Amino acid sequence: MKRLEKNEALCVGCHQCELACAKAYYKVEDPAFACIRVEDGWDDAGEYRSTIHICNQCGKCSEVCNTCVIQPNAKGVYMIKKKECVGCLMCVGFCPEQVMVQSDERTEPSKCIACGICVKVCPTGALSLVDD
Amino acid sequence: MIHICNVPRYQAPSAEELAEMRKHHVLLRSFDYERTPIMRGYTDKILTIDVGEKSAEIADIPAEVKEKFVGGKGYCLRYLWDAVNPQTRWDSPENEIVMSPGPIAGITQYGGTGKTLICTISPLTDIPIDSNVGGFFGPYLKFAGFDALEIKGKSEKDVIVVIDATKGTISFEEAPLEHFDAHVLCEELTALYADDENDKKNIAVAAAGSGADHANIGMLNFSFYDPRRGVTRLKQAGRGGIGRVFRNKKIKALVCKIDGVKANLNNAYDFGLINKTGLKFHREVANNDTKQNDMRGVGTAYSLRTLADYDIVPTHNFKFGDAPGIDEMTAAVFKSDWLTQGAADGCWYGCSMACAKASDHFLLKTGPYKGQRVCVDGPEYESAAGLGPSCGIYNPQEVLEINFYCDTYGLDTISYGTMTAFLMECYERGILNKERTGGLDLTWGNAADDLEMMHQIARGEGFGLIAGLGIHKQKEYFAKMGWGDINEMNDFGMEQKGLEYSEYSAKESLAQQGGYGLTNKGPQHDEAWLIFMDQVNNQIPTFEDKAEALYFYPMFRTWFGLMGLCKLPWNDIVPADNALTDDPKMVPEHVENYLNLYYAMTGNKLDVDGMIRQSERVYNFQRIFNIRMGKGLRANDAIPYRSAGPVFEDEYLWREERYDTQLVELAGYTEEQVKNMSLQERMAATRKYREAQYQTLIDAVYPKRGWTLGGVPTVEHLKELGMDLPELLEVVEPLLAEEGA
Amino acid sequence: MKLNNREYKGFREGLTVQDVIRENSFTWPKLVVKLNRKVIWPEEYENTVIEETDDLEVIHLLGGG
Repeated sequence: MKRLEKNEALCVGCHQCELACAKAYYKVEDPAFACIRVEDGWDDAGEYRSTIHICNQCGKCSEVCNTCVIQPNAKGVYMIKKKECVGCLMCVGFCPEQVMVQSDERTEPSKCIACGICVKVCPTGALSLVDD
Repeated sequence: MIHICNVPRYQAPSAEELAEMRKHHVLLRSFDYERTPIMRGYTDKILTIDVGEKSAEIADIPAEVKEKFVGGKGYCLRYLWDAVNPQTRWDSPENEIVMSPGPIAGITQYGGTGKTLICTISPLTDIPIDSNVGGFFGPYLKFAGFDALEIKGKSEKDVIVVIDATKGTISFEEAPLEHFDAHVLCEELTALYADDENDKKNIAVAAAGSGADHANIGMLNFSFYDPRRGVTRLKQAGRGGIGRVFRNKKIKALVCKIDGVKANLNNAYDFGLINKTGLKFHREVANNDTKQNDMRGVGTAYSLRTLADYDIVPTHNFKFGDAPGIDEMTAAVFKSDWLTQGAADGCWYGCSMACAKASDHFLLKTGPYKGQRVCVDGPEYESAAGLGPSCGIYNPQEVLEINFYCDTYGLDTISYGTMTAFLMECYERGILNKERTGGLDLTWGNAADDLEMMHQIARGEGFGLIAGLGIHKQKEYFAKMGWGDINEMNDFGMEQKGLEYSEYSAKESLAQQGGYGLTNKGPQHDEAWLIFMDQVNNQIPTFEDKAEALYFYPMFRTWFGLMGLCKLPWNDIVPADNALTDDPKMVPEHVENYLNLYYAMTGNKLDVDGMIRQSERVYNFQRIFNIRMGKGLRANDAIPYRSAGPVFEDEYLWREERYDTQLVELAGYTEEQVKNMSLQERMAATRKYREAQYQTLIDAVYPKRGWTLGGVPTVEHLKELGMDLPELLEVVEPLLAEEGA
Repeated sequence: MKLNNREYKGFREGLTVQDVIRENSFTWPKLVVKLNRKVIWPEEYENTVIEETDDLEVIHLLGGG
């Protein structure tokens, strides 16, 4: 199965991944349009750290879709058949990591297809693509 | 537990069978039409079909109609009024079935946004009935270019009407080989009109079933294709005999075909606001539903066990309320043994609440489909309670089988359940016996004979013909035959205005007695569900409070029917911080959502007062429509005593302490007096007190609604609403003069 | 003590919100509980002790539309 993997210990919170993802698919450098989400803040131990939310291809989006338009491809990556999608946004609302993107400019949402654009721009190697 | 991933797909009808059916189709007449695009939720077109003449006409919906009647139920009632006269009965050719989805219907981003309202002159009540239904047909009708569809006339032979928006045609066809029962018929027509497997989701079918040919409690099914299971599923416009009218017009089915559903076919004024509101709702369901009602797990049947704890579940025809066998059919039992889990069970796109649960590959044990495995929808709370405990049945398998046959035969589960419970009580009391039922043993809990009775309805034979009449006409028939005393049957026959009660026992809630009794269409809880507010929460203790609730809630809830919305997402899920709001029971954030959806769709701002105003116009119109048809006055709002108090001795004794205490605490007797009263005297005193309470309640409610004490909307009130239409004044003015108002 | 604006007959020392809910078979899944107008969350039911002068509201939210 092809998917994105994270190593939060290496993340420096530069948000390059989010910007690259949004730029590639929505032509804007706005984290709200990225299929990856980095949250910075103080943790319980009093340390400032970044938490990365990625799509791990769990398939919840597919399970809640009553049009059956989100299906895994041969590599195990869940893909949205945009032509058949009714834009109900249930997948976006139910995503456990909240990393699907909805834009009012489009009638369908989008999700991580494990393309690796974020991996390429990550300066520390906190992100990687695996195929297992 | 059965999970959707382990449920095999259903078998489609065979290609040979379909080819044979297609070969026998006869195209009677076809019309081309130009599809009107939707603008801000409306096409402003109505399609009128005459199945007798085989004609189709498209007309503009005038701006005044849109302004005053809004859509959905408002449109249905407006066009039905114009079609009928006071002498029209359900089977008159001029009687119409009018359906309209409403302006918000058809959006895909928020839960419960695919409802269609349907009205006709009912065979049960002789006044307009309104019923709402999910499924595809209503939204597809709008996508095909029509805000409303009115069907009139009577065909000589069975006919199907096909609205094909992909080709721009409306056609009348004969389809003689297809089955009549809805689960097969809808499957066949879906397959026949779809271009291929993937296109099945673009086909909507409306059909009744063989039971609706013979029974006044006949209903209309709307299909929705479930691509995951590979099966055509059904939702029901259950109440009031719409299916009976449909079949009386010899309509076998309506089919609507579209290109496909997309996110903004309604062409909303502010699409972004709809997305935002919908997404917020989905997140709320995702986070809270399992902690609240578990609608996604079991649907509305979640409440069965818990309502029994409050004496609210109708038990043995509403005689009792604690459903003693309910542990055998709790939500947990349905969830673990019967209902498929993990499926996206919405009856319209975007319903994350997903309460349309199903029991998959359910093995039927009786009837024409015995031995087959089918997809059974539900059971919803109303079906489970009415078909189950009310008839003394607590076996989930039996309840599901009865539910399945009701659906495919086109019979309303609520009317069927309440009516069967009435017949069982008649049997218990000797009003019926085996000789009179043609051998049916209608003892409490006898599901086998219950099912046999239903199969007889579908075959149009034996006692089934009597069963199909509904309680009101059964009472008259039993009295005429000298089998039972009409006054006694009036006390325990749970119908009002001719419509069977829905499934909540209201004995301990005066407000709910009004919630059932002071309705337009008859005793259905969709206008006001006040039991908890009244009986348990004690939030509306005075007559004034109850009257306010019986003014506000019916208006608030009518609004859903103008818009094409389902009420469940309003309050079967609530935001996590709802408890902190000023008025948690109203779920203020959800009310805000609805106002936002209305604005986002139409571009018009609305507040709660505006909502109530929109509803009030239609509500009063319907009241006057009832008066015009001969059933809209105070006398018609009387309720069977069973819904207010204990009719029989064992019924009083079941909660003797409660009733005795109330005689002291509420009715003004001393403890000493009550101790010295016989059972009959205490029953009589209870009855006298409760019946007087109901009359006092009416005295408080009518003025609040702008009606006289006789139940007639006043001219001033109509003027204030902008509803002083000449045709309404013509009905009310003579009555007002008579009353001296 | 009052329960939903009525005198509660079952009051005793040490009575908790959880006791009241159990004794009255308040099994409805969506309750809003307020003690003297302050919201009590479900995880606090067991440890919230009611005083004789308290005003307890156990509001059942509607369902079924």
